[in-house]
Amino acid sequence: MAEKEIDLRRLVIKAFHMTDVEWGEHNNITTDGHMTVSKEMIDQLVAQDDCIEKIDIQIIKPGDHDRWTNTIMDIIPISTKVLGKLGEGITHTITGVYVMLTGVDVNGKQCHEFGSSEGNLKEQLYLNRAGTPGDDDYIISFDVTFAAGMGQERHGPFTAHRLCDEFIQTYRDKLKKFKGDKCTERHEYHDKVRPGKKKVVIIRQVAGQGAMYDTWMFPDEPSGVEGGRSIIDMGNMPVMITPNEYRDGIIRSMQ
Amino acid sequence: MGIGPSTKETSLHHFRDPLLEVVSEDTDLDLLGLIIVGTPDDNKDKMLVGTRAAAMAECMRADGVIISSDGWGNSDVDYTNTCEQLGIRGIPVTGLNFSGTVAKFVVVNDYLDGIIDINKSADGTETDVVGENNMVKVDCLKAKALLKLKMRHKDELEGR
Repeated sequence: MAEKEIDLRRLVIKAFHMTDVEWGEHNNITTDGHMTVSKEMIDQLVAQDDCIEKIDIQIIKPGDHDRWTNTIMDIIPISTKVLGKLGEGITHTITGVYVMLTGVDVNGKQCHEFGSSEGNLKEQLYLNRAGTPGDDDYIISFDVTFAAGMGQERHGPFTAHRLCDEFIQTYRDKLKKFKGDKCTERHEYHDKVRPGKKKVVIIRQVAGQGAMYDTWMFPDEPSGVEGGRSIIDMGNMPVMITPNEYRDGIIRSMQ
Repeated sequence: MGIGPSTKETSLHHFRDPLLEVVSEDTDLDLLGLIIVGTPDDNKDKMLVGTRAAAMAECMRADGVIISSDGWGNSDVDYTNTCEQLGIRGIPVTGLNFSGTVAKFVVVNDYLDGIIDINKSADGTETDVVGENNMVKVDCLKAKALLKLKMRHKDELEGR
């Protein structure tokens, strides 16, 4: 006879949908679905590190993809912990808009190791995958120009990710304070033991070879950079995580 | 040689991964957890980390493993070794990997018969289109179904 499931912990992800994104004086989001994007942080971000020459931020409307893009380094959801640590408690996330990090150096060398995705965005980004925006989603383009050669040094791409994370954090700080009952979607996930059933493990082999081929784990915020560590620095050794930790954004892809 | 843009798994992908969804919602399976393992540069390191991942699965008494990879070419060395290390420990393994026409396994062994090709491009190549050759739900369902079959086959062989 089958034994009963054992519930280990609960993670609740509440999504807040953004229906319009436009320029504003400051970075801001509201529970009724309005997002404003500002360029006011750019000078401060660029000044932080010599490896960065320039940052540009653009709002890309749904379908407005007939435009140049530098190589795509990552697509990042905007999510934040409200209660508990990654893998348990409550997380707020934004739907309808995702951040796209792109990078090139001052000499036009794209920031990628093997194969790069620069070109016309409508041809270089396959929409509606788990890891890419959908037809109706906005994209905030965070485009970094590195000092000469710095897109190929580990410090360069890492700094781009870190500065992009600092930009995203301004939204997280607001999202954290959203009233949970105003969410547009609510998902509840449980880490469970199912005694007597076949025991299965998922192994995910991830990037770990260097500059543009790195994987970041254990950040303070979901899909974040700050507070995390690189799998390269952990010797690429296997690390175990729970299903809820994984679905709560414990990995920041830096490939 | 390492990763290509069309197989790249973004942070958003990891946040809403279809493989986790497919395995965790199956009430016939007890998902123990995920092992995240890197892809080092050095060949000796590649063998080491993959072998440790397989040993971890054995120590957990896993009945089966589904393994994915977010690159191709060089990273197949890690991937095929980890499959082999699981196989020789008697742990059924299936997985997801980009092969297409350009990225057939650079090394092979006896434990790769359950690997699903996640290529989506018409001519089976690295298209440099972000997301195009990513795993989708149906790939994950295939890998899961194949694993269930392999685990049952093992039980039958062992007379359980």
